[in-house]
Amino acid sequence: MRVLVVEDEPDLLAAVAKAMREAGYAVDTAEDGEEGIYKAETWDYDAILLDVMLPGLDGWEVLERLREKKGTPVLMLTARDAVGDRVRGLDTGADDYLTKPFDLDELLARVRVLIRRGAGKAAARIEIGEGVVIDQAARTASRDDESIDLTAREYSLVEYLAMHRGEVVSRTTLYEHLFDENDDSLSNLLDVHVSNVRKKIGKDFILTRRGLGYMIE
Amino acid sequence: MSGFFKSIRWRLQLWHGVLLVLVLAGYGWTSYRAAMRHRMASIDRELQRHSAVLIKTLPPWFPRNSPSNEPSSEESMELRIRPSAPLLRLFEESDSYFLLVAFLSEKSYRSPGCPEDLPIPEPFKKAAHFRFETRGEFREFAQPGGRGYRVLVGRNIGDDLAEMRRFAWILCGAGGGVLLVGLTGGWWLATRAIRPVRTIGETAKRIADGKLEERIDLADTDSELGELAGVLNETFDGLHDSLARQVRFTADASHELRTPVSVVLAQTQTALKRERSGDESRDTIEACQRASERMRHLVESLLTLAQLDSGEEEVVRETVEVERTARETVELMQPLAVEKGVKLVTALESSVRCEGDPERLAQVVTNLLSNAILHTAPGGEVRVSVTREEAAAVLVVEDTGEGIAEADLEQIFDRFYRADRSRGSANGGSGLGLAITKAIVESHGGSIEVASVPGEGTTFTVRLIATPDPVQPR
Repeated sequence: MRVLVVEDEPDLLAAVAKAMREAGYAVDTAEDGEEGIYKAETWDYDAILLDVMLPGLDGWEVLERLREKKGTPVLMLTARDAVGDRVRGLDTGADDYLTKPFDLDELLARVRVLIRRGAGKAAARIEIGEGVVIDQAARTASRDDESIDLTAREYSLVEYLAMHRGEVVSRTTLYEHLFDENDDSLSNLLDVHVSNVRKKIGKDFILTRRGLGYMIE
Repeated sequence: MSGFFKSIRWRLQLWHGVLLVLVLAGYGWTSYRAAMRHRMASIDRELQRHSAVLIKTLPPWFPRNSPSNEPSSEESMELRIRPSAPLLRLFEESDSYFLLVAFLSEKSYRSPGCPEDLPIPEPFKKAAHFRFETRGEFREFAQPGGRGYRVLVGRNIGDDLAEMRRFAWILCGAGGGVLLVGLTGGWWLATRAIRPVRTIGETAKRIADGKLEERIDLADTDSELGELAGVLNETFDGLHDSLARQVRFTADASHELRTPVSVVLAQTQTALKRERSGDESRDTIEACQRASERMRHLVESLLTLAQLDSGEEEVVRETVEVERTARETVELMQPLAVEKGVKLVTALESSVRCEGDPERLAQVVTNLLSNAILHTAPGGEVRVSVTREEAAAVLVVEDTGEGIAEADLEQIFDRFYRADRSRGSANGGSGLGLAITKAIVESHGGSIEVASVPGEGTTFTVRLIATPDPVQPR
């Protein structure tokens, strides 16, 4: 999953980005509204964490402009707690709202919910034939209750395909959602991950549709 | 009982009642006495008159050539008396009047109406003496009649006394009636007068219980109580505003703290999620330190403001050389200016003094200077000048920086106001610097103004009360 974090306080941005990367997300960052809206419009993120108080273009404006084009799930972060602000946020099109200071675990959990809902699925567990279970809350995959050892990237790949099961997901899309701007774009990195997952779970777990992409049935 | 006396209405009533009773009693008593005296006086006059006439018209009792000095028998006494004045008939026939004539020999003539126990009057020493006496129901007047005999004229005043007693009762009754009416009227008046006080009390209680928007509503706003209500309402308005300001201030302050706190929280929670290398930990700690510095700065600013607000700060009043304070501050700011590529220029007049707290005034200069430097692009200039204009010590800080938009100019001295909404969070500013500066200047009895052209620069002008030059001895 790839997320965008827009926050002007550098130390806070660094901490959140690091925590999310370590949780397996690909994370892009922006320190002001202009940069934020540019990136949000350019790439399809699975979720956007948006601070309300930004220099230049503020969070509200970024959200409004984004909503003209995309329905990317947005979680707003703010230091203001007034009920009016919450309502405004939700009415303007935010999907969730967290006030600072927030608990990091709560942030991560809410992002997970956002992404699940964004993909149209509310369940936290996805079951795929042959007893394979993807637990999105724990970010693990298991077969017959035995957990499968996947790296963060491998899990992200599996999760994404599982959330779009039955659909063919193009390589480009997978690249966009698994790697962030900080990664070198090595085009066969994706194939390496797919191959590793097949080794660990099963040859037919991920199906290849030549010229189109990958899918999980 | 003490509760009884606490009520103003009852106390008013009590005093009113006591006063009324005293006045009525005094008036009644005086009336009674006056009436009594008047009546007695007229009765006395009458008795005296009768007596005088009697003495004149009665025959002398001692014929010139009688050997003894008195009549020989009672018969002859009567004979002598009878042919005299018709006045005698009054005494003969009257129920109320009576007459006693007493002779030297202790013989006496009594009219039919004489009371049985009427004593014979004592002899008089002088011819002009007379005596009035009241015995029970009889008023008696005795007078010497010449040659040793005495005439006593009296009257039964029983009826008069009864009438006076009736009068006394009427007075009491009337007085009681007046007292009742007075007390009732007084009670009614007191209730009416007290009612606005109760309204004030009830409204005040509601306000104290938390309904801060209520105000006292009295129909009559010109009376003393109306004025009181007006003053109280103004006080409540002031308190309400003051409370609202405090609430806003507290909200703003806690809001400001949220950002550094969230940095510390996020950094530490992330760091603790797994094993960290020394370098990673160091980064985390440094980020926490930066946030803590911001919090400290904020806390100090808030404390300063609170002190200035409450006026609790110990007032330091020394003679401050404004020029020296400005110069020292400029020197302190030099490194920052160099770092930002901004040139510092000074035009400082000496012998400009004012009374105040040197540290606080230094804070003012520091704050204005650092703002100017930070808002001016490299290559720009900041000019500090200190001059004397009549009775004012004037400090001017102008820069060639980015300027302040007109819309922001009005609010720039407000607490927590930052012209660029989030600038402070990265730069460490909290929006309190100018608010503190203004508070310090005003606590010194001075004023501060700002003028700015966006894109060209900003000028802050501080006016303080200059200390007059010491008088030079000639």
